[in-house]
Amino acid sequence: MLPFTYAVRNLFRDPSRLLQTVGGAGLVVFLLMTAAAFNEGMSSVLSGSGSPKNVILLGTGSEESLERSEVHLEAEDIAATSVKGIEQKLGRAAVSGEITYQAPVETESGVKEQAILRGVLEDALLVHRAVELETGNFPGPGQVMVGRLAHRKLGVAEEELATGRSIRFGDATLTVSGIFAAPGTVLESEIWFDRNDLATLTQRDTLSAVYLRLDQGKWEDVNVFTLQRNDLELTAIREDRYYEKLAAFYQPIQVMTWLTAGLVAAGALFGGLNTLYAAFASRIRELATLQSIGFTRVAIFLSLVQESLLATLTGTLLALLVGYFWIDGTAVPFSIGTFHLDLSPAVILTGVAVGILLGIIGILPPVWRTLSPALPKALRSQ
Amino acid sequence: MSDSPFIKIEQVSKSFQKGKATITPLENLSLEVPRGEFLALMGPSGSGKTTLLNLVAGIDSPTSGSLWVGERELTTLKRGQLTKWRASHVGYIFQLYHLVPILSAYENIELPLLLTSLSKRDRRTRIEAALDLVGLSNRATHRPTELSGGQEQRVAIARAIVHDPELLVADEPTGDLDRESADSILQLLSRLSKEHGKTIVMVTHDPRAAEAADRTLHLEKGKLTR
Ligand SMILES: Nc1ncnc2c1ncn2[C@@H]1O[C@H](COP(=O)(O)OP(=O)(O)OP(=O)(O)O)[C@@H](O)[C@H]1O
Ligand SMILES: [Mg+2]
Repeated sequence: MLPFTYAVRNLFRDPSRLLQTVGGAGLVVFLLMTAAAFNEGMSSVLSGSGSPKNVILLGTGSEESLERSEVHLEAEDIAATSVKGIEQKLGRAAVSGEITYQAPVETESGVKEQAILRGVLEDALLVHRAVELETGNFPGPGQVMVGRLAHRKLGVAEEELATGRSIRFGDATLTVSGIFAAPGTVLESEIWFDRNDLATLTQRDTLSAVYLRLDQGKWEDVNVFTLQRNDLELTAIREDRYYEKLAAFYQPIQVMTWLTAGLVAAGALFGGLNTLYAAFASRIRELATLQSIGFTRVAIFLSLVQESLLATLTGTLLALLVGYFWIDGTAVPFSIGTFHLDLSPAVILTGVAVGILLGIIGILPPVWRTLSPALPKALRSQ
Repeated sequence: MSDSPFIKIEQVSKSFQKGKATITPLENLSLEVPRGEFLALMGPSGSGKTTLLNLVAGIDSPTSGSLWVGERELTTLKRGQLTKWRASHVGYIFQLYHLVPILSAYENIELPLLLTSLSKRDRRTRIEAALDLVGLSNRATHRPTELSGGQEQRVAIARAIVHDPELLVADEPTGDLDRESADSILQLLSRLSKEHGKTIVMVTHDPRAAEAADRTLHLEKGKLTR
C-alpha cells in the first residue's frame, strides 16, 4: 500500500485543481441534495395533508379538482344526518361544507399574488384536526384567518399578514383575525374566510366540497350514501387518497427536478473529469515508476481513490454546511401550498452517497487512461 | 549452482506492433551475465537497449525465447507475479531519476520498503544506511526539487538498493549529468558491484561510463557484439 500521506500531498500538488474538484463535487452534492430535499418535502406535505378518517364529498365529474367542484348547499346537512359513523364533538357532527378558491389577493403594501382561499364555518375545525389557532380568533364576517405559511405563498414578509393587518380581495377589505398552524399540511398556506363572505365575494351559491370526519364509519358507508342520494350528484373520496392523486399529478415535477439537478451535476462532473484527466496524465510516468518499484495497479488505484475521496468528501461536507445554513427549513411555495426543505437523514445520506460515488466513479475513466498503457511506454512518457 | 549464470537469456525476441508495421528490436538474442558482474550495454539509439533492460528487469516480457534471473524463469510469470518479483529482486535506475516530487529523499527511498513487512524502525535503519552509502545523510528531508541532478540520481540509487535486491538495472544513469557528477555515480555503481555483490546491467552512450564496468557489449541491429 502507498502511504496515506502520498494521497494527501497529491491533493495539494495543484491548489487550483483541488479547488475545482472540491467545488465541483460540492456543487454536485448540493444540487442533488437539494433535489432530494425538494422532492421529499413536496411528497411529505402531500401525504401529510390527507387523513384516512376524512372523506371529501365532491361534485360528480370534478373528482380531480376541488376548484371546479360544485356541491349543493343542502348536501352538508343531508350528509350530516344520513351518513352513519360521523365523529361527534360536543353534540356537533364533524361535517364541514367549504368553498375553495384560487385568486389573487392584495396586501397592504400592494403586493398582489395568487392565494388559496377557503371559505369555512367554525365546524371546519372539527374536521381539519391539524389546524390550530396560534393567535387571534376564528374569522367572522369581514375577517380572515391566515395560515402561518401564507406569507410565503404570497411572497411577502410575515408581518404583512400579522393579526390586525388587512388584505384586499375583489372590492372587499378584510382584517386578519388570527394565525393558524397546521403542521405538515398544505392548509398552512391558505387564507380562511368566513364562508358567507367568500360565497358573496365569488358570487357562488354552491359549496366546493363537504368534508366529513368518521369515527365508526367507513368510506364505504359514505359511498353508499352518495349512491342512495344520487340526486345530489356527489362522489366520495377519502382525503388521503385525494392527496395521493394530487401527488401523482406532481410526479412529473419531481422527475424534472431530478433531471435538472442531474443534468447540471453531469455537466460539473464532466468538467471535473477533464481536470482529472489532465492531472493524472501529468503523473503517468510517476505512477509507472511506482509500478516498476513493485506497487500493483490496485495499490495505486486505491491511493488515487483515497485522494479523490478526500476531495469529494470535503466538497460534500461543504455542501452539507451550506445546506444546513441555507436550505434547511426553507419554505417553498407551490401551486397548492408550501413545503419545507429539510436536511433529513435520507437527504444527508443522498449527499454522502453522491460524494462517495463521485469520488470513486468519477476517477475511473482518468485512472483507466493513466494505468492502462504498457509499463515501458508509460515509463518513457514525459 | 554458483557457476550457473545469474542472468540467462536464450533466443529472446521482442517485437512491437506499430500500426501495420512490426518492429523487432531484439531478435534471437542470447546472453549470460554471471552473478556480481557489472555489465555495460552500448549501441546506437533505437537499437533495443532499453527494451532489453526492461526484459531483464521484469518490466516487459519477451515475444519469444526464455529468460532467467536468479532461479526464476521470468517468461513463466504473469503480470501480477512479475510486479511482486520486481518488488524484492530489482532496483531500477532511470536516466531522469524518476523521483516522486512530493516526497522527500527519505520518503522516496522508503517506497520499496513499504512493500516489505519491515517495521518503521527497521525501515529507518535501512534508509539511513542507504543515504549514508550514497553520501546524502544530510539531505534526507529535502524534496527532489531542492537537490542537484547528481544528488537526485544518488537518491534514486539509494531507492534502488534500499531493499537489497540482487539485480540493479540502470538506463543511461549518467546521461543527464556533468562529468564530475557522472564519475561519482559510476564510482558508486562500481562499489555496489565490488563491495556489495550486486549484479548490474547498465545502458550507456558514454565510453567512459563503459570503462567503469567489468564488461561492455554492443547491441546493434538486434545482435550483441563485444
Ligand atoms: N512500446 C513500444 N511500441 C512500439 N515500438 C517500440 C516500443 N518500445 C520501443 N519501441 C521501438 O523499439 C526500438 C528499440 O527501442 P529502445 O527504446 O529499446 O531503444 P534504445 O536502444 O533504448 O534507444 P535509445 O538509445 O534512444 O534510448 C525503437 O525502434 C523503438 O521505436
Ligand atoms: Mg533507451
